[in-house]
Amino acid sequence: MHVYEVFVKKDGRDEFRHAGALEAATDELALVLAREGYVRRAEGDRLWVVRRDHVVAADDDFVAPNADKPHRHHDGAAVAARRKAARQSRQ
Amino acid sequence: MSGQGAIREYLLAFADDEHLMGQQHTEWIGVAPFLEEDLAFSSIGQDELGHAALLYELVLELDGIEPTDTAVDRLAYGRPSREYRCCRLVEYTTRDWAEALARHWVYDTFEAARWRLVADSSLTRLAAVAGKALQEEAFHRRHADALLDKLLASPEARTRMLGALEAILPMVPGLCGAVAGEAEAVRRGVASAPTPDLLGPLEKAIAERFLVEVSGSGSRSGSHSTADGQFLRTVRSTDFEPLMKRMREVLDYDPEAVW
Repeated sequence: MHVYEVFVKKDGRDEFRHAGALEAATDELALVLAREGYVRRAEGDRLWVVRRDHVVAADDDFVAPNADKPHRHHDGAAVAARRKAARQSRQ
Repeated sequence: MSGQGAIREYLLAFADDEHLMGQQHTEWIGVAPFLEEDLAFSSIGQDELGHAALLYELVLELDGIEPTDTAVDRLAYGRPSREYRCCRLVEYTTRDWAEALARHWVYDTFEAARWRLVADSSLTRLAAVAGKALQEEAFHRRHADALLDKLLASPEARTRMLGALEAILPMVPGLCGAVAGEAEAVRRGVASAPTPDLLGPLEKAIAERFLVEVSGSGSRSGSHSTADGQFLRTVRSTDFEPLMKRMREVLDYDPEAVW
């Protein structure tokens, strides 16, 4: 048996969203079982199943170092506020 | 038998098969071999119950009764056993999952062929139901095939599946058995061919799927078709009453309840 991650896309949306996971013996069984488990109530119109061991996953500490780099975290709010203030002062 | 009576019998046999098969599939909820299958199989069972409900509505319309939920329930659950027209295969209490799976494949293969016979029915409502049902049946078969592809490739599972098939096979001619009056219903264009015509192709499909000999039951069925109650769908097996009791368990608390 393999674990499969299930992704579902809603009509009109661009992205597939992760819906859950299931165990199945073959790709075809994974699709068939995902259909009943995840889209039988019209949750979406397209379906992917991906074997979990086919996902290229980073190690946990691969991502963590970026937490101590606050200069990469600004969301532009300060800049936006300054631009807004500048606009208003011109009026 | 009058034309209307013949059509009614034809629809009733179809509806009763779907009803009992749906019930049997849904009984695997909570006890199927693994969680995902548990959900999938009982969901497929619900599709069959949906077909049954639509077919019972057509029967009620022939009877001149408004097909309310209560009226459908009464027809589905409330008849004396001699008035049911289901076949032995759908009444049968399977002994294990292998038998349930073998029956699932055989029944759904038969069912798709049966819907195709009524896809251009003179009963336009029936033809409309067939369109929807055939879409669902394609998936039901795909589900059963996906499991069998895996299981028949493994020696132990194959042995168990073939043992299960052996238990199922004697009931296959009865599955294709015609109710009295079916010839008249066919004459009126309700179906494009009689149900027993499906037996030969079904046995051939079983032989190809399971890679076994399915010998002779097709040729025997001719002699059964007029005399034997099993093939006329008028005789209930000993599995029927216990099944009906389970099916009626909730309903019997309050037959007039509105859901």
